[in-house]
Amino acid sequence: MTALLEVAGLTAGYGAVRALHGIDLTVGENEIVAVLGANGAGKTTLLRALSGTVKAAGRASLGGLDLTRTGAHRIARAGLGHVPQGRGTFTGLTVEENVRLGLLSRPAGARGQADGDLTRIYETFPVLQEMRRRPAGALSGGQQQMLALARALLARPRLLLIDEPSLGLAPLTSADMFAVLSRLREEWSLSVLLAEQNARASLKVADRGVVLARGRVVATAPAAELAADASLRAAYLGTAADSPEGVTA
Amino acid sequence: MTEFLQQTVSGLTTGLVYAALALAIALIFQGTGTLNFAQGEFATLAAFVAFALSTAGLSWWLVVPVLVVVAFVFGAGVERLLVRPVENSGPLALLTVTAALLLGTNAVTALIWGTDVRSMPSPFGDSVFHVGALTFTAQALGGGALVLVTMLVCGAVFRFTPLGLRLRAVADNPDSARLLGISTGLMLAVGWGIAAAVGAIAGLVAAPTLGLSPELMTNALLLALAATTLGGFSSRLGAVVGGLLVGVLSNLASRYVPGIGGDLQLVVPFAIIFLVLLVRPQGLFGRASTVRA
Repeated sequence: MTALLEVAGLTAGYGAVRALHGIDLTVGENEIVAVLGANGAGKTTLLRALSGTVKAAGRASLGGLDLTRTGAHRIARAGLGHVPQGRGTFTGLTVEENVRLGLLSRPAGARGQADGDLTRIYETFPVLQEMRRRPAGALSGGQQQMLALARALLARPRLLLIDEPSLGLAPLTSADMFAVLSRLREEWSLSVLLAEQNARASLKVADRGVVLARGRVVATAPAAELAADASLRAAYLGTAADSPEGVTA
Repeated sequence: MTEFLQQTVSGLTTGLVYAALALAIALIFQGTGTLNFAQGEFATLAAFVAFALSTAGLSWWLVVPVLVVVAFVFGAGVERLLVRPVENSGPLALLTVTAALLLGTNAVTALIWGTDVRSMPSPFGDSVFHVGALTFTAQALGGGALVLVTMLVCGAVFRFTPLGLRLRAVADNPDSARLLGISTGLMLAVGWGIAAAVGAIAGLVAAPTLGLSPELMTNALLLALAATTLGGFSSRLGAVVGGLLVGVLSNLASRYVPGIGGDLQLVVPFAIIFLVLLVRPQGLFGRASTVRA
């Protein structure tokens, strides 16, 4: 079986500065892959290169579509969702309008399930229903993160890229977020590429982990194996990244 | 009191033209982040096209929809052909393009129709109505109603339709809009098209009162820019209210403040705007820009 996402020799950067030096990676159907690495390892750039928001070269294909030669909005329509770092909510629009934009973006074949999906989203994130008439900019950081995730899910992506969902969240909120992520696959039947600094929490929800350092892949292994590999964690993920994990674990 | 009301009504009539033009300017500002200095010239061009269509024997009932469609295509085309190529060159490049469009459109209009002021018959006829002691011309009532309906339709499109939601999403956060599969380029072109259509109605309504010439909207553009500043560039409703205020205030000031008269009346709205902006730099209806998390 061929993978949903196949990446080989992918390079990308900003202007003259190269941030990715030939990434190889696959994500299978219904698989959750965690992309781990310290700050500046290239996690965000990798996700941006895949969603077409940063220019990239090399090979990256989503179910046969060449991602390096396709515009961002066409990639999105082909079934790739991206919850960007900083959440990217439409702050001037209401929560409900943000949610509706997600529904508008779904493929024609999924229009029929829109009502059911919306009910499910409001069950998962009751706070979004309570706040639906408020401007999204008035939400807290954690609520905005939930809104960004909800909006991306409602577009019914085949592959969802999630960038640092726990960044800047209080430990408890962050734990809530990982609890939601662990149920994503069952409830939405999709594949996930999750970029996180919090290695321990993300390896718990992922099937496999890919460790990046300075724009290169330094390790790929099943999540349980990576979680047990203390030397790898010390070498590439840094002890600093471990400190908040004690709280969320 | 009657005269005060009559002056207010007359101010509202001109104010509606400013309001429609201000709305067009605000629409483009929200989408592109630039001021379209050529918005007034687009409206003038539209007025000439309407005049030509009506002279050619087309009934006004057909002129209005034809004009709206032609203006939409024109506005969207200008965005595609002349604005898109410099979109990423920064706000000053965009501003320069719209200033060039102002001069260019003005020159083309003058070249085709000449610079003499023509009188354009009112699409609404010459009747006059009396309500109590107040007098309304058919042009003022019909023109006012047409502009109002245009603004309401435009507002409804933005507020209640999927297209409007996409347009607002692109204005709010273009990067996130792209991640949801929205073509920001297409939405910008549509925004310019809608703005040009709204402006065309403003030109059509202004021409019978002000006289049709390439200078038709020169003052109106300045007042519409002032109205947009007053109401707040980030608010469509603000731009409309700003336009009405500017119309009414300049009319009342010229009548009641000694020494102002017809020539100085333009100064009045600007003085008020200056005072408002001292207190609220974002305009009456504008939101202070929110910090994104």
